[in-house]
Amino acid sequence: MTAARGLLARHGAKLAVGALLVTILVFPAISDNRYYQTIIILSLLLAIMASGWNIISGFAGYVSLGQTVFLGIGAYTTAILSLRVFGPDEFGQAGANPFYFVPISAIVAGLFAAAVGPIIMRTRGHSFVILTIAFLFVMQLVVLNWTELTYGNRGLSLPLPTWPREWGNLPFYYIFFGLLLISVAMSWWIRRTKFGMGLIAIREDEDKAASVGVNTPVYKMLAYIASAVWIGAAGGVYAYYLSFIDPRNMFDIVYSVFVVLAVLLGGRGTIWGPVLGAFILEPVNQITNNDFNRWFGEGIWDANVRLMFFGALLILVVLCLPRGIIPSVQDIFRKRRESRTAAEVGARFERKPLTVVERGALEAREAPAGPLLEIRGVDKRFGGVKALDGVSLAVERGSITALIGPNGSGKTTLFNVIDGTMPPDKGEISFEGQRVDRLASYRRAHRGIGRTFQITRLFKQMTVLENVVAPLRSFSWRDLGADAVSGPEAERGHELLEFVGMHKFAGHRAGALSYGQGKLVELAQILMLDPTLIMLDEPAGGINPTLIAHMEEMIRELNRQGTTFLIVEHNMPLVLGLCDPVCVLARGQTICQGTPDQVQADAAVLDAYLGEDFVLEQKAGVT
Amino acid sequence: MTQLIQAIVLGLLLGGVYALLASGLTLIFGVMDVINVAQGALIILAAFMTWAAWNETGLDPLLGAVVMTPAMFLIGYGIYITTIRWIQGKPPSTSVILTFGLALIIEGVMGFVWTATLHRATPEYFNQSFTIGDIYLRKAQVYGCAIAIGVLAILYVILRVTWLGRAIRAVSANMSSARLVGVNPSTVAALTFAIGVATTGAGGAIAAVLYPFLPGSHYAWISRLLGIIVLGGMGSLPGAVVGALLLGVAETMTATYISPQWATMVPWAVIMIVLLVRPQGLMGQKLREDVAL
Repeated sequence: MTAARGLLARHGAKLAVGALLVTILVFPAISDNRYYQTIIILSLLLAIMASGWNIISGFAGYVSLGQTVFLGIGAYTTAILSLRVFGPDEFGQAGANPFYFVPISAIVAGLFAAAVGPIIMRTRGHSFVILTIAFLFVMQLVVLNWTELTYGNRGLSLPLPTWPREWGNLPFYYIFFGLLLISVAMSWWIRRTKFGMGLIAIREDEDKAASVGVNTPVYKMLAYIASAVWIGAAGGVYAYYLSFIDPRNMFDIVYSVFVVLAVLLGGRGTIWGPVLGAFILEPVNQITNNDFNRWFGEGIWDANVRLMFFGALLILVVLCLPRGIIPSVQDIFRKRRESRTAAEVGARFERKPLTVVERGALEAREAPAGPLLEIRGVDKRFGGVKALDGVSLAVERGSITALIGPNGSGKTTLFNVIDGTMPPDKGEISFEGQRVDRLASYRRAHRGIGRTFQITRLFKQMTVLENVVAPLRSFSWRDLGADAVSGPEAERGHELLEFVGMHKFAGHRAGALSYGQGKLVELAQILMLDPTLIMLDEPAGGINPTLIAHMEEMIRELNRQGTTFLIVEHNMPLVLGLCDPVCVLARGQTICQGTPDQVQADAAVLDAYLGEDFVLEQKAGVT
Repeated sequence: MTQLIQAIVLGLLLGGVYALLASGLTLIFGVMDVINVAQGALIILAAFMTWAAWNETGLDPLLGAVVMTPAMFLIGYGIYITTIRWIQGKPPSTSVILTFGLALIIEGVMGFVWTATLHRATPEYFNQSFTIGDIYLRKAQVYGCAIAIGVLAILYVILRVTWLGRAIRAVSANMSSARLVGVNPSTVAALTFAIGVATTGAGGAIAAVLYPFLPGSHYAWISRLLGIIVLGGMGSLPGAVVGALLLGVAETMTATYISPQWATMVPWAVIMIVLLVRPQGLMGQKLREDVAL
């Protein structure tokens, strides 16, 4: 009995899904009710749409309100090929069998995604949403107005099925079913690979993902293609199923929103949420449309009531169930599980003695002469503000260089320019003797630049271990399909977490960590890159003295092993004790560079940053 | 030549009305970071109410703006309290999805009350024209543009001179700092949203005379308004005016020299080009984005 309950708790979702799939598979054998078959066919279509949308919007976080564009493209590809290109009759009475062209529909949809994706995914947030709507409407208008090819408003009539009448719509039924299985299998596969983990990282924090070496443009484009192909194929099948298509119904914004609603309802970013949402929403849609008037009297349910109903449902889901059914249910189970292991959750931060981490890759790197990092005459403006005004700076190999200066002097902007988060307006940046100022952020990470952020930026929905293994030292197509967390990587991840003293938290969600813990995990994360240069943005900011000492110790340890540091920090005792040389930035310019003693004595530095009484305080502190 | 001037003048007159309609959308976005997709539906709602008042009582539709503005203000306030309030601070796409739901509800309500057929308020001057040389200007168009400019001027004064206006600008610049100096952001957000929706009162009244409309027309309107604010720079009021004038002219030119069918494409084409080439728009500011996170 208990065993059965345990089985249900652990595999409940899988059992429910298995039951649903088997039911769909054998349903036509049990009942030949055409009405129910229609409901299932339309639910399958919506589930394919939702599953596709989930890849770009659920995994990668780019919310599209124009996903039906691929349904329309697929439908018109099949229709035009079967009627206009291979069809004998220009009135579309008898054309080639549309099923032949369904794979071509998938390819064409994928090509459109490949062409449009990289362009529109240069924008984010609001702009991206608007662009997806624009793409949908532009395609609709093109199809509407290109009457020579599409007959515009008059639409296209496809040939009627040629199979025996008693088969009814079953061929459509099983083809949609097959497409859904393929689509979900692909989602499942993506989710457990490096590719999928990169997409989640992009959703959580795209700039951060790029800074730890994720090739974001390629990831996003592939995600957009993956989200389009099966919808394109489904469009081809759908056109044949409907036997008549027109631009307004094929490129329908309301259906796009319907897809979004299905995923939000079931659970965004999950594998089965979109399917569940579709199999709730579409039956509700069909039953209300067809049965309410029969049950409650004519005129109760019409197009207007339908709009109001689904508008209200959309608002309710956004406001009351923003995460969707599956994640909400999972949360209940998780809470129940975690209440049993509460002791471990509340474990105190415990520092292990430092272990020397094997750093094989480093020795292999040969060192060219000259400074490791060299910045010459870098400018960066924001509107009227000149954040960087001709900054020049050299970081010697093996040094721990400090970058100090008053708030707003451009320290973080300089970091952003060095790691490629934003391009400089002018100037050169060389790393290991090579220009890097035109390279994308992820390529600089591959070269060996790792940086942390002033306010820690971890991928909050991932576990600590996943955060640590997310960085990528290079890009290869083969790696995309590799397991998200492979054995050697997990080992190395644990090793690094042990190094920073956070291994006990490996399984926790990064979002649940405290500020100081986050700093340590972020350090472990960039160590995964095996960086030659580590840039730390206020490593000691806002953390307690014990942790500061711990941080200092780790920096020294890593430096001894050959890692160069560039550190922005306001904690003067730490800077002066740890770093040499020290570089001072004020009003976007380097005003002084030298040993800690030289900097402390420099009149310009005292004036701009440290203040007259700084030296006194220091002396008072020493005695 | 006459054709060209006619197209430009007509475009500018249209642009004046567009400017008013887009002002609410850009104001709401600038202060609250919410794209109110329901703005188009609210315009059509105001147009229907104007039409109903004109049809029942004979109230001049353009004068109806005086009644519609407070009515839409109240509707806007109600919408804020019931829905928008709860999604402040959520990811940007949330507001788009939520307000899309609102647009669907409003569309359904209008179809339910007034049916999905074409309506138009036709006071006696609606097909009369002024003629200057060879150029014909429809009276309704001229009156409409004049009213739009008047309402925009009032809006500008409110934002520049009153305490509320300063509070709105403060919140749009930096919400947490505004809170520190004693501005209550949620009150300001509520009033901003209500004012933004109130602009559709006058705008809808004008639109009711200028264009035939039905509940589904809101898609065409929201596309146009999005095109305008994207072009002008999202959140910028002067940008919305410039964007509106440009888009008005672009539409009439396309309709005159290419075909009216493709004129519907103009806003979408503008959106795509601007967001890709100059995402901050003509008058939007590129702010220092690395400081506060």
